[in-house]
Amino acid sequence: MSHTASIQAKARELLETGAVACVIGYEIGPRGRARPVFVESPEGASRLVWNQACTHNLAAYLPARLRPGKKGEPARPVGVVVKACDSRAINVLLAENQFAREQVHVIGVVCPGVLEGAGQRSIPDEASPGEGPLQARCLRCAERTPVVSDTLIGEPFAAPPATLEEDPLDRLSGLGAEERLAYWLEQFDRCLRCYACRQACPMCNCPTCLFERDDSTWLGMGIGLSEKRAFHLGRAYHLAGRCVGCNECERACPMNIPISHLNRMLAREIETAFGYRAGLAPVPGPLVTVLDRGEGRP
Amino acid sequence: MKVLTPSALHAWLNALARDRLLIAPKEEAGVLLYRRVGNADEIAFTGKDPQRPVTPIKQAFFPPTERLLLIERLPADEPGGSRRIRLSESLPEGEQILFGVRPCDARGVRVLDAAFLEKEPADPYYQRRRQGSTLIGLACPEMGPTCFCKSVGGGPDDASDVDLMLFETENGFAVQPVTEKGRALLDGAELTETEGEPPRSALTDPIPVPDRLAWPPHFQDSFWEQMAERCLSCRLCAYICPTCRCFDVRDEALPAEDGRELYERIRCWDSCAGEPYRRIAGGHNPRAGKGQRLRNRFFCKFHYFPEQYGHQACTGCGRCIDLCPVNIDITEVLSHLVVG
Repeated sequence: MSHTASIQAKARELLETGAVACVIGYEIGPRGRARPVFVESPEGASRLVWNQACTHNLAAYLPARLRPGKKGEPARPVGVVVKACDSRAINVLLAENQFAREQVHVIGVVCPGVLEGAGQRSIPDEASPGEGPLQARCLRCAERTPVVSDTLIGEPFAAPPATLEEDPLDRLSGLGAEERLAYWLEQFDRCLRCYACRQACPMCNCPTCLFERDDSTWLGMGIGLSEKRAFHLGRAYHLAGRCVGCNECERACPMNIPISHLNRMLAREIETAFGYRAGLAPVPGPLVTVLDRGEGRP
Repeated sequence: MKVLTPSALHAWLNALARDRLLIAPKEEAGVLLYRRVGNADEIAFTGKDPQRPVTPIKQAFFPPTERLLLIERLPADEPGGSRRIRLSESLPEGEQILFGVRPCDARGVRVLDAAFLEKEPADPYYQRRRQGSTLIGLACPEMGPTCFCKSVGGGPDDASDVDLMLFETENGFAVQPVTEKGRALLDGAELTETEGEPPRSALTDPIPVPDRLAWPPHFQDSFWEQMAERCLSCRLCAYICPTCRCFDVRDEALPAEDGRELYERIRCWDSCAGEPYRRIAGGHNPRAGKGQRLRNRFFCKFHYFPEQYGHQACTGCGRCIDLCPVNIDITEVLSHLVVG
């Protein structure tokens, strides 16, 4: 059975039995592009697909979807299709109490890697061989098999199929502080502050973003270099020890800002300092402060 | 027809860049953008795919951030004392030449003109920049896979919204002056008289676009909520749109200078797709749902704006289709309205 057929069968079953209210997966739009889809009926399960264009991190939809209702009643469980990277995001969200484990049925897919240009161009379906290069993040991926799942689709790989030889991070971190600053200011200069990076990110789930507060006295609403720099560097710090490297931020960016370099630099530092990689288990990252009961409010 | 050979075009653009502010498509980190250029070599004449820059020309008239006023608290020893403030207006000045403007972007300027200039009082900031600008259009030889300019009243070789239009030919660029301003720009250009007419662009099949009156019956459709489920509520589509023109205004503190307390009033791009856009005092948000916000985006372009100004606020450039991270596709919305 193809991965697509397996995902459809599982989704149909979950929706028929009422185990979940909705399955978040991928479909192919009229232009042949893969995109997120929310299936709420067993009949709708036939829309679900799997191919190497399924780039979106669907875990990003979970916190809003699973937020308790106005009277505090818990949201009904949802099913979600995840790749290895996306599954790590689920662990981070669980560790940060964004929802309960029993609220998600994780349909994990063993992932051969996602193609460059996925989501933005038409990519052949699962049956045909992948066309073109894999995204850089996929060449670096050490997991391939989701780290958390209730249903696993596909056979785990013995070894990662490919790795990346050169890492632009090495070149960047070899530069002097002034050169690095100049490099980043040039990148940030293109930013439009459209927040596509933040909105695509499963970890950016603050109800009000620090960089978008009406009453902020230290970061204005200007779309100028100083604000853009504060936003990008601030966002990177807030993702330290939390970013799972799905790189959806970078893919969503219309201006080719290499956001992943910032996130990976911090991930590397944290791995060196704490031996910790985000999302391998549902435990809070070393830089996340967890308040004990009673410490939250004065 | 009159033609600028490649070398004549180069010389002409270099002369323009020498005396004036010349803004043209330029490649930066693999992204085609309208940027200030110092000479013709910096210009990317034709983008590969797509041909148009990632961001539209609107920022030349309506910058992402603009100071409207400088606000200064008067020192205590001046008459009136520290309880008074001085306001100084900061109106833009100077001229700019915008080169390589694609017809869809130029048509977007028509939409901005209507919104900022048509009804009194005209927006003085926009008006100054607009009056100081000359648009040199560049026809697209063919339409891209996501382009539908022809279906919303424009066309890949439509010269109606520029001052001067260029068409790519075998021997260089055919030149068609549209306004006096455009004609004047050609002073000193070395034009070659050639047989024939400027080439017409290849067209793709038009898509059906519903009439403005077809929209209100669809206001309550469940379609909006369904489509919006995958919407990220980012502002990408608005910020790369040649016609989106919403802004927010706020007073912000500036670093103090020589003990003077300074503030500025700025206006910045804003987008109805963002959650805070419609939030009002007290915290209520009449457009709290993603579906309501997305619906507004499309109603604005094809119903509200045409009701008020008589033409659509979409130029069919296809940028939002190319760049939306989750494939919200404006042509799918249009076909929902037509087919149901």
